[in-house]
Amino acid sequence: MMANHHPSNETLRRFSDGTLKSGPRIVVAVHVGGCPHCAERVAEFEAIGGAALDEVAPVDMSDTAYEHLMARVDAWDGKADADTIAVPRRAELGIRLPEALDGCGVGPWRWIGPGVRWSKLEVPGDPQANLMLLKVAAGRKLPEHTHSGREYTQVLSGSFADERGRYRPGDMDEADSDVQHQPIVDATGECVCLAALEGHMRLRGFFGRMIQPLLGG
Amino acid sequence: MLVEVAAAQDRTAFAALFAFYAPRVKAFMLRFGMTAPVAEDLAQETMLLVWKKAAYFDPSKAGVSTWIFTIARNLRVDRLRRESRPLAAVDILDPSDEPEAPVSGEAVVLTIEREERVRRALALLPSDQATVVKLSFFGEKAQSEIASELGIPLGTVKSRVRLAFGRLREILDDLK
Ligand SMILES: [Zn+2]
Repeated sequence: MMANHHPSNETLRRFSDGTLKSGPRIVVAVHVGGCPHCAERVAEFEAIGGAALDEVAPVDMSDTAYEHLMARVDAWDGKADADTIAVPRRAELGIRLPEALDGCGVGPWRWIGPGVRWSKLEVPGDPQANLMLLKVAAGRKLPEHTHSGREYTQVLSGSFADERGRYRPGDMDEADSDVQHQPIVDATGECVCLAALEGHMRLRGFFGRMIQPLLGG
Repeated sequence: MLVEVAAAQDRTAFAALFAFYAPRVKAFMLRFGMTAPVAEDLAQETMLLVWKKAAYFDPSKAGVSTWIFTIARNLRVDRLRRESRPLAAVDILDPSDEPEAPVSGEAVVLTIEREERVRRALALLPSDQATVVKLSFFGEKAQSEIASELGIPLGTVKSRVRLAFGRLREILDDLK
């Protein structure tokens, strides 16, 4: 299945150089994991990172750095260190979650309006991640709205459509603040999306208006 | 060289990798605005992971510099996330690092081609644009430093970054 809607080049670049915030990074990781086209773009950007690393003017390490490192190598038992971060609580949502969400806490489905439920996802170490799952009933139309910040929405199952086209599983919708849209979930079935909002702006985007009071923003 | 580190836990080969990459990873961290002790610590962590993960290095996915860049990038992102927490044993030997299938010669060739194509494209880019592209991999701080050095607003630097990447994209597509 080939995706028709992809993250922008700028987003893929920020994903590759590590400057994309954790919420959007996870949404993009899910997309890239299923999209060979974007995976190749990311590989290219990472290769630019490799070239940049080769050419940066080196800065001397301290005199004892190598000795210290080899002492740690000697002390290593050959096993992977256990991650000391506790596994967060995960509610059973009745759907198969992408692997990129493995370390995340998963909240239960909560009703936020007729035919619309959401689950808050917790990213370890980043309470401001603004990452969530959304489940919208078939045929449900959402109020027309504008964005005040960029939204990243990856379709996991079902589909929705707006003025810009139809979004199916594997597609990612990256909507800037100037996008005005009125997504309608297709009549064939409910739609589950993974969504992240950038920054701490007022949420007005895809479902954001409804979620705003719940996030306490 | 990395292959020797992995196969024989060859310390001579690793010492050469350390001499080349550790000071560059440190420079990379410094440009991101880390203090010198933190930059050095992250360079050490990066090289420790290079040692531990040498056996997982998959030449069908990336060249050595690109692979080390991604390790350094992940550690930097991880450090930022955990800054407010007690320092955990930052280690990420996740199962996805393991090559799923025997590495195919074809995939390795494709990777070598990609690495060569990217480096040729960077060489074909006008030098000021190539500089902007590479600096953009060192984060916002590097960009604001260019801005103050050149006496131009940060917004102008950002639009130059976009332009430079647009041009790079065209060259990369031409080289395919
Ligand atoms: Zn894609």
